Amino acid sequence: LSTPRLTFSSPKLQTLYRNFPISLSLNFSSSLSHSKTLTVAPGSLSQRPSSFSPRRCFAVRAESENGAEPRHYDFDLFTIGAGSGGVRASRFAANFGSSVAVCELPFATISSETTGGVGGTCVLRGCVPKKLLVYASKFSHEFDESGGFGWKFEAEPKHDWSTLMANKNAELQRLTGIYKNILKNAGVTLIEGRGKIVDPHTVDVDGKLYTARHILIAVGGRPFIPEIPGSEHAIDSDAALDLPSKPKKIGIVGGGYIALEFAGIFNGLNTDVHVFIRQKKVLRGFDEDVRDFVAEQMSLRGIEFHTEESPQAILKSADGSLSLKTNKGTVEGFSHIMFATGRRPNTKNLGLETVGVKMTKTGAIEVDEFSRTSVPSIWAVGDVTDRINLTPVALMEGGALAKTLFGNEPTKPDYRAVPSAVFSQPPIGQVGLTEEQAIQKYGDIDVYTANFRPLKATLSGLPDRVFMKLIVCAKTNKVLGLHMCGEDSPEIVQGFAVAVRAGLTKADFDATVGIHPTAAEELVTMRTPTRKIRNSSPPEGKTDPEVKAAAGV
Amino acid sequence: MARKMLIDGELSKPNEEETHYDFDLFVIGAGSGGVRAARFSANFGAKVAICELPFHPVSSEVIGGVGGTCVIRGCVPKKILVYGASFRGEIEDAKNYGWELNDKVDFNWKKLLHKKTEEIVRLNGIYKRLLTNAGVKLYEGEGKIVGPNEVEVTQLDGTKLCYSAKHILIATGSRAQRPTIPGQELSITSDEALSLDELPKRAVILGGGYIAVEFASIWNGMGVAVDLFFRKELPLRGFDDEMRAVVARNLEARGINLHPRTTLSELVKTEDGIKVITDHGEELTADVVLFATGRAPNTKRLNLEVVGVELDKMGAVKVDEYSRTNIPSIWAIGDVTNRMNLTPVALMEGTYFAKTVFGGQPSKPDYKDIPCAVFCLPPLSVVGLSEEQATDQAEGDILVFTSTFNPMKNTISGRQEKTIMKLLVDAETDKVLGASMCGPDAPEIMQGIAVALKCGATKAQFDCTVGIHPSAAEEFVTMRSVTRRIAAGNKPKTNL
Repeated sequence: LSTPRLTFSSPKLQTLYRNFPISLSLNFSSSLSHSKTLTVAPGSLSQRPSSFSPRRCFAVRAESENGAEPRHYDFDLFTIGAGSGGVRASRFAANFGSSVAVCELPFATISSETTGGVGGTCVLRGCVPKKLLVYASKFSHEFDESGGFGWKFEAEPKHDWSTLMANKNAELQRLTGIYKNILKNAGVTLIEGRGKIVDPHTVDVDGKLYTARHILIAVGGRPFIPEIPGSEHAIDSDAALDLPSKPKKIGIVGGGYIALEFAGIFNGLNTDVHVFIRQKKVLRGFDEDVRDFVAEQMSLRGIEFHTEESPQAILKSADGSLSLKTNKGTVEGFSHIMFATGRRPNTKNLGLETVGVKMTKTGAIEVDEFSRTSVPSIWAVGDVTDRINLTPVALMEGGALAKTLFGNEPTKPDYRAVPSAVFSQPPIGQVGLTEEQAIQKYGDIDVYTANFRPLKATLSGLPDRVFMKLIVCAKTNKVLGLHMCGEDSPEIVQGFAVAVRAGLTKADFDATVGIHPTAAEELVTMRTPTRKIRNSSPPEGKTDPEVKAAAGV
Repeated sequence: MARKMLIDGELSKPNEEETHYDFDLFVIGAGSGGVRAARFSANFGAKVAICELPFHPVSSEVIGGVGGTCVIRGCVPKKILVYGASFRGEIEDAKNYGWELNDKVDFNWKKLLHKKTEEIVRLNGIYKRLLTNAGVKLYEGEGKIVGPNEVEVTQLDGTKLCYSAKHILIATGSRAQRPTIPGQELSITSDEALSLDELPKRAVILGGGYIAVEFASIWNGMGVAVDLFFRKELPLRGFDDEMRAVVARNLEARGINLHPRTTLSELVKTEDGIKVITDHGEELTADVVLFATGRAPNTKRLNLEVVGVELDKMGAVKVDEYSRTNIPSIWAIGDVTNRMNLTPVALMEGTYFAKTVFGGQPSKPDYKDIPCAVFCLPPLSVVGLSEEQATDQAEGDILVFTSTFNPMKNTISGRQEKTIMKLLVDAETDKVLGASMCGPDAPEIMQGIAVALKCGATKAQFDCTVGIHPSAAEEFVTMRSVTRRIAAGNKPKTNL
């Protein structure tokens, strides 16, 4: 959920909406005996008082589960959690004319059972502050590059951590305010406090009860630190985004995207960075070539990887420094040890067990394709369902849910070809299948790769390279997967994601003229497969003998 | 190299006497188009020769170099200088991110110039190797067409070589032009601007095209005071008007003085530099005056009139859809034909030429939905139609989606520069007709969008693509509300 841009769409959507008669259908919740289809005349919806005040439900509630008469609820939708998914679902539901409340914990940069904030992980403890820190840390690389372009700093640039933190936090405050406004402008009632489900139609927020026809759980996830001796000395990503001082030497445990992003951030800010990963390679689940490439590039920038090392204990010495003991030995002298060892859904103390909402072994809420839980009036979107834990996916799920419940258009989120990025340095962008997945699913594939030194690096003299890969179905010529690691990858991949999602072929890529000189043009000028993989026979290796010239002439 | 002539198709008759020619193909000019055509033709089994003038960064009738405009005097050196210039913005932006930079930050133009020359010399070598590896014979010297199947190469020492070829390809490109005003000899063109000995303190640029705005950004980034003069109300004629206005605003906000509706009438050498007199009678003094007033095809010394190759009024070689001139054995591609003067287009034309003539697959280059970029700071990139073109061409209503936002990086850096994006959609078919963006990374972002557009993607297909968060590019797939609808009957006709 991104920054202030959202403000443009909300009023317009409402305006558009008012131009059409809308049939507000609740018949999708057909398992409820009180289902009704209401047709609401245009105009009447916009008259709904935005100051709609919640009443104590037990006062007005009429038991009508037997279908005798429609039951009255305080709200059509009560959302627990005002993060990306919750805000999106609430806003869109309100735009469809329903009365909506959302509850959220008070703002704090570090989340807990009692703190959160409107905006959620993405805005306060994830995408946004992370990207701001990536920007901050990337300048050092740019200073290094600038030397090759004639720039010279009389004194080595120094970084002041507190300036960055202050400016970052001011921005987060601004954003949380914007999100509150977005909710307010959409006519959503915002309630500060901890929501807990009491029964299938009732939410308790710090002692106050609210009834709702539908309840949406959008409480997200939180970092998880495994219990090992001394783990109380470790920090998680929440804390790492808001440290009082910059680490001198940090040990990061984990090989996932969060670990790599923070490794890049601290490395760029001149912290000595050690990454400890259990496996042989970073980024399990990503394309194998990309896994190798990104680790190599990060090592070249000065990050030390300790592979196949599992943490066993954290020891604090008298001088306050920390040591990490692993199965292979002990590394000493850390000012900070960060665990980026996964995230867990925030499903504790939500009253889920009481109402009978089913959860998976990992504590995620089980939902069907429409994001409905085992309790028909309770729904869940975003990280708490542990499907694909990305902001834009939570937005998609929230948007689809609003359509399903209030737009008279049952909509399943579509998880095909969801692109994603890792803001490591260099960053990664990807969409579609990895080579391994493609082989498994399609057998015969052609793989095109490019590994080149970008124009900027030839001047800067830095060892930066770019890696790109296209995976093409040998039978249909469809592009099944696209992976890139190098400068601007996330920006580059977005447009290609439209193409991959639309099912375009390699021939379509080839028919597109390049934009010169860019890195992205390489993706439309890959002429020779690096290898052809055929299910029946061993792979035919064929390396592209062409010199990568600037224009690819 | 084994000689294996594939079917020539209908376009050239099978000829028993073909072995009498020294070459199957003789290419004049080893720039983007010429090298591509030569290599691909050789890969199809043709015996190929190519001639090119000796290398130097500044071109003339007798100076050129393997690699051509793109590598030696265009895209590549220009982009290198843009990179160089962009660090100023980075240094400014870094401060609010906590970087303490001593105010004394030096920019050494000579160092950059040296590194740039090193790089293009390296690339020149790579291109020569590409030709050698493909089995193409390279001659250094000036090529002239002396007959429909004959090329004469004047070598550096003045000796002349004559070769016969079944096909001749003209790929001599173009060169910067200057208007003939008094004192024009005091001005420079983009060739010299890329290789100035000294960085000027004050620069005047005449022209409103992409070259003019790119150099304005380059010099501005390097700390030069820049005055940009152009005839129209806005720079970048032919681009989307809204985008033109954004570019103008950004250039101005970064400190470039814009002089719209103004041209130069005279240059006078003074002790203090070059006195520039405008058509409004204003005067200012500059160290360097750059004329970025267009380019002309290099057709003068090719002897085309004698052989009878037709040229258009601009001096460009006239070709058919297969890049063939009126003389069946003579072909032309790239800037010399003045179709769409972009490196990737010359590459496309070169490829299609090779396919047509030696690959047995007559193929016409497709000029629809060709993306392009202007590397001003921040850059502009577009694909498909501009709003004006869409309004003009469409049968039905046009939906315009725009997004203007403060890029995330600026929220902390404090830079006051908005990014703007636009999608033009056919209301009836839902097809995306045009996309444009002005903002950081626009050229990189636009490439993938171009694939989608080229293949007729609909707005619905954009909408169902999940965003990459947080990126600027995700805005292209999250534009939900129509900014305006242009009704079919409501099209103001313009003469843009």
